Amino acid sequence: MKYLSNEQIPDFFSSLQATHEVRLPIMLPDGTRCLGHPGDGTVALFGGALPAKPTAAFFPHEGPVFVAASEGFTEPSAPEKPLLVVGFTSRDLACLRFIDRFFAEGWRDDIYFRNRQGALVVGVSGYCGPGGASLALADGDCDFELVWDRTRWLVVSHTGAGSAIVEGLAETVSDGTLERLRKEMAVYEDENEKAIRRASELIRADRVPDTFWSEIGDRCIACTGCNLACPTCTCFGVQDWRYAGRVKRSRMWDSCQLDGFMREASGHNPLGTEGLRTRRRIHHKLAADPDRWGEISCFVCGRCDAVCPTGIGIFAVARELIERFGNI
Amino acid sequence: MKRTLTVCPYCGTGCMFYLVSDSGRLIGVEPSTTHPVSRGGLCVKGWNAFGFVHHPDRLTTPLIRRDGKLHPASWDEALGLVAERLREIQERHGADSLMFASSAKATNEENYLLMKLARGVFGTNNIDHCARLCHSSTVTGLAETFGSGAMTNSIDCFDNTDLILIIGSNTTEQHPLIGSRILKAARRGTKLIVADNRLIRLARHADLHLRHNNGSDVALLNAMMQVIIAEGLEDREFIAARCENFEAFAASIADWTPERAAPLTGLQPGEIVAAARLFAGAKRAMIVYSMGITQHSHGVDNVRCCAALAMLTGNVGRPGTGVNPLRGQNNVQGGCDMGALPDVFSGYQKVSDPMVREKFTRAWGVDALPSTPGLPLTRAMDAAAEGKLHGMFFMGENPILSDPDQGHARHALKNLDFLVVQDIFLTETAALADVVLPAACYAEKEGTFTNTERRIQRVRKGVEPPGEAKADWEIICALAKQAGCDKMHYPDPSAVMDEIASVTPIYGGISYDRLDPLGLQWPCPDRDHPGTPILHIGRFNRGKGRFSPVIYRSPAELPDEEFPFVLTTGRTYFHWHTGTMTRRTHLLDREERRSFIEINPDDAARLGVRERDDVLIASRRGSVRAQARITGIVIPGVVFMPFHFTEGAANALTNNVLDPESSIPEFKVCAVQVRKAP
Repeated sequence: MKYLSNEQIPDFFSSLQATHEVRLPIMLPDGTRCLGHPGDGTVALFGGALPAKPTAAFFPHEGPVFVAASEGFTEPSAPEKPLLVVGFTSRDLACLRFIDRFFAEGWRDDIYFRNRQGALVVGVSGYCGPGGASLALADGDCDFELVWDRTRWLVVSHTGAGSAIVEGLAETVSDGTLERLRKEMAVYEDENEKAIRRASELIRADRVPDTFWSEIGDRCIACTGCNLACPTCTCFGVQDWRYAGRVKRSRMWDSCQLDGFMREASGHNPLGTEGLRTRRRIHHKLAADPDRWGEISCFVCGRCDAVCPTGIGIFAVARELIERFGNI
Repeated sequence: MKRTLTVCPYCGTGCMFYLVSDSGRLIGVEPSTTHPVSRGGLCVKGWNAFGFVHHPDRLTTPLIRRDGKLHPASWDEALGLVAERLREIQERHGADSLMFASSAKATNEENYLLMKLARGVFGTNNIDHCARLCHSSTVTGLAETFGSGAMTNSIDCFDNTDLILIIGSNTTEQHPLIGSRILKAARRGTKLIVADNRLIRLARHADLHLRHNNGSDVALLNAMMQVIIAEGLEDREFIAARCENFEAFAASIADWTPERAAPLTGLQPGEIVAAARLFAGAKRAMIVYSMGITQHSHGVDNVRCCAALAMLTGNVGRPGTGVNPLRGQNNVQGGCDMGALPDVFSGYQKVSDPMVREKFTRAWGVDALPSTPGLPLTRAMDAAAEGKLHGMFFMGENPILSDPDQGHARHALKNLDFLVVQDIFLTETAALADVVLPAACYAEKEGTFTNTERRIQRVRKGVEPPGEAKADWEIICALAKQAGCDKMHYPDPSAVMDEIASVTPIYGGISYDRLDPLGLQWPCPDRDHPGTPILHIGRFNRGKGRFSPVIYRSPAELPDEEFPFVLTTGRTYFHWHTGTMTRRTHLLDREERRSFIEINPDDAARLGVRERDDVLIASRRGSVRAQARITGIVIPGVVFMPFHFTEGAANALTNNVLDPESSIPEFKVCAVQVRKAP
């Protein structure tokens, strides 16, 4: 098995810039971690999931769709070099797998795949969570995975492209560390994950009355942060800007917590109350997506709970819902 | 990909976020996870704060009016013309025939420089900004009672308090990240009293919701204080040790029984008694207010009452207490701090004080500075309408939509000999200008903003301004040069802040190297000072806190047979002021697309108005069309209307009557009629 010392990480990823557009977790001056280029800041693989969703590398907050001018349409080109994005936890990778499928199914989303096609995805796991906490091994869903065993990063390839990238790295003896870590991580049971599953059961069994959603909606200030932070939220709005002789179309992340999201041209809105919109946000992840895709589309990353100013992220709502309706 | 840490350009909460850019274009926003105010969250405007920056409507070149039309011009041409015309007016009619309007959207450094330009280069104290329209009542009222016209406590105090009285602030919509703290506090057991006749979100979580009549705040607060004194609930120790003029004050409210206040406020006496007992019973109580208190013809009196209630119950100078006016704009606190006001230099140093003038005269290297306070913005508009003012310079303000009585504002500006507007878009006001100067927006320049809790924070450049647009500070310095002043050149805004610190005691310890990552709260008198999260600890800034007796006055224009509704105006959550930025931000514009009024179901039924019908709203000053939103948020007899929309402008209706002391207009009460549009 290959490995990297922590000191080797910056140089290793810098060296990949010759062939790839590399983005990896860095530390910003105020202590916020984000995806950046090697050299933009200190590499910050430790600390768990990045606050902003790493899937934004493929589906940014705002991005161009096309420019229409009298001489014709121009579509944005694919990145000059394929993206190589580091820093996905196993939960983030599950989210990425979900939206990959979503964007590929039916009408294939060209704009998404312009960035995603040929991109390499690198997971992080092991004892590199917040304060050294454990992050479950992904064991797939990425090209290779960096597993911190408290002394070094084990480099585990999952695809041919991943193997090719890490080919030149030093070998370490197969001493069973990876298997040991896998077992240690598996023992850890995530209370949030249990809560999400249970909440899904209760919602699907129609045990949650509308009054509950109205109460949660009363606490929603419609910041839209839950949607914008969520790696499996894929809704976008479309904007046309007119310049002399051309129109530029772009798209930006949208939110089902906005009244305008579902409002009809008449002004009528089938999701016209805060309660209905709040219900939709949770219901979509925990009831509608299991019907459509066969799995709950909340992969328990915790970002909506972290970003919500009023404390009604999906974990908080799930716990409250279970407390009130779990034993009826 | 580049990330630039900066301050949100919308409200005064002062959230910080990273602008995300790629190849010189903004592509998103990411919250700062460590910031003490925003704590990793943002409101909908913050999340979308990048959305207007590259809009095709941005001004990219100076414009000069020729033959009635605005034509592109060079910077030299435009600034040369501005300097020449302003000097000409100054010489012909005197320096005080000019007026400079600064901007609560611009940085501290830019406000300071425009103030310096007005006073030091053109020799007039006629400088003001939109604080005149929002918190001038606070600056006057709290300076008189406490000695400082700013929020006494910090945003963190909302996490550790026993009771919050919210009066005239729709906090979850107008200061969303502060409103969120209040919502969370209520969930943890902090008591909430909401005094506001609109059923705002916080009212749904309140222990007590007082839906008192618009403009009856003095009656409500006086009666609450009467109950507190009558029942012996006041903090006698605090009053004796820290305050003055209590006996006269107590005598002045002795007959303000709840029974007397009831018919004026529309409340039951029992509601007032309950509010008084709840408030006085809290160990730590915070008062939060905003435009619902200040924008009245008796705005200063309202502020005096808030200050008195806090002193009466010993709720000043401790964590989790205080009088907390929430400043509206991103840098309206800073605009005031920088002396973009007609009577003070930076740091509230009076222009009438010879020692102060002497200090600034020396610091600026000028011969003399004017000693008579200048015109407040609202009075300046009146003077322009009367032909007494000849030239105006607006930086980042849009009075055609933001000032009361639009017809009056339009007449005033058209009556000028020369109008200059410096802005980022061709606003309704810029469209009337003789010269338009294209400015960089917040994302395109360096500087500082000061938030509502007096926290001075760094604003940073994420992308280049469009075309030939320049930062406001660069434009002001270039104009000073054109006007013959060779003393206003700075390598960067940091050097301007160094000058500010050298002449402004409350900013004495501020310099850019100290502002990362959390900023500093003034007063910060020297470089070793850690800043001041809570004011008036142990002693009021003026020495003793002063109880100021207040005589009740009703709003200037009350409903009658012809105009039977009270119109109260304000903002919505999704738009900002005159919509210059938010109406060019796709998701925000989609959310609120047109002008509307909120009208109670009983009133709507009586008028035969259905949901989303168009209605005509008319006052003695004008008539506009808007969509009806039928809702129990408003009480019968009251309609609410936002002022963001140029089509259906609320300020075509409002009343240009001013508070005699602060010159703030009465935006919150005027009489209108409503009928279904044909």
